[in-house]
Amino acid sequence: MQTTPARRPGELIFNLFLFLFSLFLFWSAYGISGFEALSSPGAVPMATSATMIYSAGAILWEVFRKPQGSAETLTGNIVPQSIVVTIVMVALYALLLQPLGFIPTSILFLMVMIRYLSRRGWGFCIGVSVGTVALIYLIFRLIFTVLMPQGIVPEGEILAWFGNLF
Amino acid sequence: MEIISNILMPVTDLKLLFLVAAGTFAGIYVGAIPGLSVTMAVSILISFTFSWDVYPALALMIGIYMGGVYGGSRTAILLNIPGAPSAIATAMDGFPLAQQGKAGEAIGIVTVVSFIGGFIGILALALFAPSLSDFAIRFQPRDFMLLAIMGILLVGSLSGESLIKGVFSGALGIAIGAVGMDPLTVQDRFVFGIDELRGGVSFVAVMIGMFGVAEALAQLHTVNTPAVKQKVSGIIPSWAKVRKCLPLGLQTSTIGTVVGALPGTGGDIAALMAYDYAKRVTPKPETPFGKGAIEGLVAPETANNSAVGGAFIPMMTLGIPGDAVTAIMIGALFIHGLNPGPMLMVEQPHMFWFIVGALMLANIFMLIFGLTGIRLFVKIVELPRTVLLPVILVLSIVGAYAVNNSVTDVYWMLGFGVFGYFMREYGYPLGPVILGVILSRLLDDNWRRAIISEQESFLGLMRGIVTSPLSLVLFATVCLIILSNTPLWRMIRRQKEA
Repeated sequence: MQTTPARRPGELIFNLFLFLFSLFLFWSAYGISGFEALSSPGAVPMATSATMIYSAGAILWEVFRKPQGSAETLTGNIVPQSIVVTIVMVALYALLLQPLGFIPTSILFLMVMIRYLSRRGWGFCIGVSVGTVALIYLIFRLIFTVLMPQGIVPEGEILAWFGNLF
Repeated sequence: MEIISNILMPVTDLKLLFLVAAGTFAGIYVGAIPGLSVTMAVSILISFTFSWDVYPALALMIGIYMGGVYGGSRTAILLNIPGAPSAIATAMDGFPLAQQGKAGEAIGIVTVVSFIGGFIGILALALFAPSLSDFAIRFQPRDFMLLAIMGILLVGSLSGESLIKGVFSGALGIAIGAVGMDPLTVQDRFVFGIDELRGGVSFVAVMIGMFGVAEALAQLHTVNTPAVKQKVSGIIPSWAKVRKCLPLGLQTSTIGTVVGALPGTGGDIAALMAYDYAKRVTPKPETPFGKGAIEGLVAPETANNSAVGGAFIPMMTLGIPGDAVTAIMIGALFIHGLNPGPMLMVEQPHMFWFIVGALMLANIFMLIFGLTGIRLFVKIVELPRTVLLPVILVLSIVGAYAVNNSVTDVYWMLGFGVFGYFMREYGYPLGPVILGVILSRLLDDNWRRAIISEQESFLGLMRGIVTSPLSLVLFATVCLIILSNTPLWRMIRRQKEA
């Protein structure tokens, strides 16, 4: 006999969110052009969000009927500290990317993240971070000419200075 | 004789030979690095090759394209992060093999079958381009619409554990793809009064978020477990193993070529369809699908590489792109004063045969670089995860930023990454979301064209489907996919097996 798997912590809330989000999308899709015509710009969005409501509703019902599991916790298994720290760090990276520039922000991000995750010495963290950012800079900025925010680093002047050396 | 000299042009001209080789080598790494896409690389290439002669420019772009489609499989196998959408299906069995210490074997077989698939696609391009154009030109909007529905329904079959979760993910992807101004009426859809949403959500940001960030976050759970030392022995597969893969490989190469030749569909859909096909025709594989089945590698990799040759068929014969990369290549040909379409084949056939020759050469280089550069590449996964995960996050951020040079895309990437992480944790497949985003436009445009051509009559549309053999075949396929995923079908099969 097949046993019903237990409900994971936060699963009911997440699925309830998806169901409510689908309802909101349907309401928004209806607002595009209502039931005006089958070829209206809102037709496919309405059909899509209706599919989302149906499937999210069915999943929510299924999850609701599952027994609550006791082996897992929300902070221990679903959103442990390392996940929260990483999300906050990526958000901070995005926030500082424009004002500080790509090079210092990336070095700082890598340094802190490697130190936090590996617990290795600062020398190792700084060395790996600087080396990695140098390699990424070489590939993206110099070979693929991808423009990255300069921020506080006068990249143009530094590149010109290197250019004058040769 | 002239045809042969045009085909051999990239081989006889040393500069062109070097550019195809350099492009293929770079393409493998571009395709493999999460966040760097072939589409992006080819777009950037246009900006600094437009002053070049058309042949060197095309040689480099073709090399990148060919190498990139193959390169996507590498990170799919080693890190479970598909480097390109066409490698989504490859990750399903490639990563389990890497976890079992068989990364070398997986990459070796993938390289050889990719070569075989690529060869078949190019052969089809050379042999059938003119006649296949007659077939593709007969596609009506309703056929494209059915094709899009077929692709989305396939996700249900792919999602494995829960069809309904696969359907939700696919529908979510279509909704994401619909965000922005409607291209026909310029009406806002799912914009919620936010100006930045008018241009739509960057597909690359969604893809990097769902596959780069969500994957990195999920791997944080096991960050302190030592990195798997990937065995790279036995890279070059035995002839017996290749021969075993050949029958399925030839079938899925045909699927890849045909799907690639359909305008608007590319290697991503071809790979997913081929994977699904392999699951259906191989009921009892040595290793189950999703746990490291070789068939699960052969099918998508032959299909996505053969789709490259296929994608050039509508591009060269009709001027319609087979996929995103060929769309950019059409732009490159325009910049060089050429007009892809039926007249190009008549007026400048040498251009067509040069492309065939360059593709063939790039395919050979792909085999050489693929089988010789694996050890160096595999070293990446031997890095401790505590270092690798932050580096993947930086690459993801750079990739998302580089699309539009916009920090907003980085926020989108993070948002989709966090959302994708929760979806993963609660058993929602992420592949269908990306597929939905890709197919959203195709479905929307063709639904509207189809229904307008029938004067807004749904019954008229159905009548059109039933009376056209092509539409009927597509419609029957759609119905079959739905039926084969119902409990009734499973019950009938179980009874048959008993």
